[in-house]
Amino acid sequence: MALDLSMFNRFAVNFQPGDIIFCEYEPGDNFYLIQSGRVQIVKIIDDLEKIIDILQPGEIFGEMAILEEAPRSASAVALDNVKALEFNRENFEILMKGTPQIALKLLKLFTKRIYDQKRRFLILTLDDPQAKIADVFLMLSEAQPIHDESVNERVFMTTVEDIAHWAGVSPVESKRILNQFASQRRLEIFPDKIVVQNINDFARFVSSKRRSQVSE
Amino acid sequence: MPKSVSYKTNSIVYFKGDINEKIYILNNGRVSLNYNDIETGQEMHDLIKTGEFFGVKSAMGKYPREETAVVLQDSSMIAFSVSEFEQIVLQNTRIMIKMLKVFSNQLRRIHKQVRNLLRSGVDVSDPETGLFNIGEYYLKVRKGKQAIYALRRYLTYYPSGKYASEASRLLESAESGSVPNLAVSSAGSSRQSGADLSEIAKSYYNAVSLFSQEKFKEALSGFQKIIEDGVDGEYEAKARYEIGRCQFNLQKYELCIKHFTSLIQKYPKHPDLIDSLFYVGKSYEEMGTIDKAAGFFKKVIAMAKDEAPIMRKAKKALKGVEDK
Repeated sequence: MALDLSMFNRFAVNFQPGDIIFCEYEPGDNFYLIQSGRVQIVKIIDDLEKIIDILQPGEIFGEMAILEEAPRSASAVALDNVKALEFNRENFEILMKGTPQIALKLLKLFTKRIYDQKRRFLILTLDDPQAKIADVFLMLSEAQPIHDESVNERVFMTTVEDIAHWAGVSPVESKRILNQFASQRRLEIFPDKIVVQNINDFARFVSSKRRSQVSE
Repeated sequence: MPKSVSYKTNSIVYFKGDINEKIYILNNGRVSLNYNDIETGQEMHDLIKTGEFFGVKSAMGKYPREETAVVLQDSSMIAFSVSEFEQIVLQNTRIMIKMLKVFSNQLRRIHKQVRNLLRSGVDVSDPETGLFNIGEYYLKVRKGKQAIYALRRYLTYYPSGKYASEASRLLESAESGSVPNLAVSSAGSSRQSGADLSEIAKSYYNAVSLFSQEKFKEALSGFQKIIEDGVDGEYEAKARYEIGRCQFNLQKYELCIKHFTSLIQKYPKHPDLIDSLFYVGKSYEEMGTIDKAAGFFKKVIAMAKDEAPIMRKAKKALKGVEDK
């Protein structure tokens, strides 16, 4: 949807590559709509800067600030020369009346985020670390575009650290479990990707673990 | 076209797990959404009020229904497709704002639930410690720009926080481009060399914090005190610049012009020189001396880098006075 945002030029802010737009733990009161350039969402985990997401023009970030001033859960850093529109709770109403399409975009973003978080929650409720890691692959598979149902192999452009992060299992333990899966030929680990041989095998494994947990 | 549909008592509008693109609004009757709470597993029944939408999230997000919609007594409702629903809310921003609030509350709640599960075993720091750690981290990996940002923010939010003196010390080294010996500092040993400076930095950032809270009078006296103490040349120069900004915000334009003019003479290489010129221009504009104001804005435009925010401000200001 092409939007005419020229009326919001007075809310425009510019950042140079490497500029922090906002910092993790900082109280948040603004949210942003990218007009040009890309923005990296990063988090420092165990003394490593981890890229969580790279956002493109047209995308919104910092949106949790609309409701309350809670600390930011990640940092936003300009990757290119970035031009963004900066809004806060006060001028949000103006934005809504002028361009309700942006609010609709936010509404969709919220539905997606709620779903993703609920899905993540389900992973974390599993007791068995192996099942947690298998369930991370199921989650990643669900997020991929529709597959040919007859092909069971799935390729994930992901790393051991990513899997550990999603599973809430320590990187060391995650690595051990992934190596175990690899020795059972259930998956293959490459520097930049992990290939799961049979995603349905993982699906069966996770659902049986979940069932036995409920009946306990 | 939106369709009106009727359901008998005990019938089901949709089941949990269904994939269905419809969004409903209840006209009359009683409908309950049944699901299991993800945290406790307890069975929940949310009653839909007449006039309320349901099925919104799963339809818009194109994911399976998360609850079963059971009709408790004969009901009529209108079923919309996602695009029909979008047309309605685009024309009725009040509905949309209400939904945004509901959704963002739900998102907060699930965020918190996820954090609670992760917390077992993982140390989650408080925001104050977290923000300070980030500054320290960036300094350690020699990302000076990012370190300066995080440490400045720390000192703005927590001017007398538990890491304030440490943060000012780190900020100084970040600003001077050197990497301090972090191993020594975290061990908490000898730090005498920076002790006096840290006091100054602390009072400087206290005043900056007052300024950002728009307490300009208090900020002004804070900055003046730094100059009277005269312990450190660098902070003195910084404070002098801030004094000018305070005077501008206190609408003492004549004082502001005088102050910045002497600052420019005293510190011809002051890092905030261009901004100082801009404030002189703004002061002239406020006093109605348009031609002088325009002259200063032109000077700023000639000196500032293209992508600098001050460039944009000056161009806008120049256009403003030329239109008068």
